[in-house]
Amino acid sequence: MLVRDAETIWNTLKGIICVYKPAESSVRRLRTIIINKICTGLNEMELTVSVRDNFADHPLVVGPRYQEKDLVVSWSNYLGWHSSGILIFGLRRGTSTAKYIRENLPTRAYRIKGTLGQATETGFSDGKVVERSTWKHVQPRNMDRLLSSMQAAHQKKMFEMCGVDMQSQLAYELALRGPIRPANSKLPIIYGLKCVEFEPPHFMIEIQCVNEYETYLASLIHEIGLKLHSTAHCTGIKCIRHSYFTLDDALLMKHWDLQNIITNLEQCNRVLNENDHLVRQESVALRR
Amino acid sequence: MSTYRRVLNEISANSKRFISGKRRKYPINSEDAEKLPVFQYTVSKKEYRRVFAWGNLQTGALGIPALKRNESIDKLYYLQSPKRIGFGEKFEVRTACCGFGFSVFAVNSNTNDKIYGCGINTDSQIGYHEVRQHKPLGLIFYPQPIPLPFLSPEKSRVLKITAGRAHLVVLTDEGIFTLGNNAYGQCGRSIIPDEDYSRSNYINRIETIDGKKIVDIECGQDHSMAVTEDGCVYSCGWGADGQTGLGHFRNTPEFTRVKGDIESEKIVRLSCRSDFVLALNNKGEPDNFAGSCSTVAHSETHKNATPIGKIKSIASGGSFCVVVLVLKLNNRRRPILIPETLFGRNDFQPNNIVRKVTCGLNYAAAVTSLGDLFIWGRNKGACLGLGTEKDQYFPLKVAMGGHVQDVFCGIDHTIAICKPFI
Repeated sequence: MLVRDAETIWNTLKGIICVYKPAESSVRRLRTIIINKICTGLNEMELTVSVRDNFADHPLVVGPRYQEKDLVVSWSNYLGWHSSGILIFGLRRGTSTAKYIRENLPTRAYRIKGTLGQATETGFSDGKVVERSTWKHVQPRNMDRLLSSMQAAHQKKMFEMCGVDMQSQLAYELALRGPIRPANSKLPIIYGLKCVEFEPPHFMIEIQCVNEYETYLASLIHEIGLKLHSTAHCTGIKCIRHSYFTLDDALLMKHWDLQNIITNLEQCNRVLNENDHLVRQESVALRR
Repeated sequence: MSTYRRVLNEISANSKRFISGKRRKYPINSEDAEKLPVFQYTVSKKEYRRVFAWGNLQTGALGIPALKRNESIDKLYYLQSPKRIGFGEKFEVRTACCGFGFSVFAVNSNTNDKIYGCGINTDSQIGYHEVRQHKPLGLIFYPQPIPLPFLSPEKSRVLKITAGRAHLVVLTDEGIFTLGNNAYGQCGRSIIPDEDYSRSNYINRIETIDGKKIVDIECGQDHSMAVTEDGCVYSCGWGADGQTGLGHFRNTPEFTRVKGDIESEKIVRLSCRSDFVLALNNKGEPDNFAGSCSTVAHSETHKNATPIGKIKSIASGGSFCVVVLVLKLNNRRRPILIPETLFGRNDFQPNNIVRKVTCGLNYAAAVTSLGDLFIWGRNKGACLGLGTEKDQYFPLKVAMGGHVQDVFCGIDHTIAICKPFI
């Protein structure tokens, strides 16, 4: 980092960052860690305070110059306890950007791992096993057939939820455009659903969706298990894409320090500038 | 402040234990899982198909006698969304057909009862069923067997069934069987004046036409057509609008070879729902057979002059026709393409194509390669199955619990045969 002046850095700390969330950690805790890292980084830097006489402003009196409560950080997408993957944070003025991104209902892609044969209390592997069943009869073609049917059902749902009269010209024009955003931000909609890995009893599905949440994804795996005349539970959820942010943009936990965060901030800004509809969305058609 | 320091120190030591905070009060004993019994759920047989029906309930054509036990369906006029019918669970349904207010199912069987019919039975089109002597049933709510006079019932199979307004044609290994109304000669037998069709128990069997084996059949409203193994088309029945394509407008009581451009072609598939016929030759170009509009009535076949590409499936309805991915609307000179996005093709499913099209009288249906059913048109008796009574102006997916294999459209009801997911 060329600039060693904390104040300049502090002033540039406005925008969004993209981090990689490890599984089994809460977003709230990650936020705390990031705030801590930034503040420590800033406090380690040179700081020139010209006022000498007034000790009311002295670090030994008021504490460190940059404190955790001064740094406003909010998340744009929420990943549950069991999920890992891309997480978008908004810093200071970037919190509003994060909010706009969230309100535009961008699609997210997940890779969900599941295991056939056991159903657990929570739907995840850490729950108590409540039922065991056979899984040898499940073929890849059964899985594909089921997933394509589920996907098509969701596409129709998305169309009904966009809030237009089905007999209008507008409805036809929307249908021509293909995938569209729902008007409601609460109900999950799946755009793409396919099985990318099938080594029974383990399987992995890739899903493109909006409005999803962790329990929903876990229940989806459970439902797949039931429909395939077996039982299944979820062993891992990884968010691999959030709108235009991919895993390459996401900052790993070991890189969470001020320098990398600033670099990531610039990188995210570049993505935002290239796709300004991420923040200001007027179209109902799904762009990404 | 000290808490944050502690957080920081622990994180810098890369301790994952700190952020994994959730603890169970009573830890899970992993040995308990081993003690649980292993359930084995059933998997459906290879031949098993799910049969869904929706549309007008009053005619009995859906094969649903009551929605709930001890409840009459008098108050319900139609089913707005697909319902799995119980008949399909008892028998292995191979194929089906929808007539005008009646349905017929073909099942796997070693006896003469290979087809079952339900719905309106005014002209014995679904066989002669009586409860009292000489009092045949006019409405049948649950599919009843229609015994066909097979020579060897163990070996023979039903290949295809088609139905018109009040007659039925069944294609089997042993030729075709026709039953029902023959007022215009649509059953392929001589017209008997003042014949009482409602009490008729007569099934006409036509083994070959001109010594040639029949490979495909199709019924219009009041006429029937057959394709022989060498690709010739034969027709009989009502010809007032030239739908028989025989060069005249008279009724024809026996299968006669269709004249016009079609004579030089090898036809593989026919499609007709009312008075307009589409025929597909082995090169994938459609031939227009007769016109049915009041203004134009061709009595001979005409070849389609506008090539639109290789055609795989065709369907023709009352005043429109569809070929795979290509729609020809009424009042349109040239066929126009229905956008593929309407059939669920998008970035997430780039390989999705329409595999098959079918037509009812006022609506059309398409089955995609991923086993989805898309339907559009006039919603008479909720025959679209979209959960509403409104007409649908562009293709929309029908929600169904299965991988759709075949769909059969009638006038106000639809039947779909689906593969189960497992």
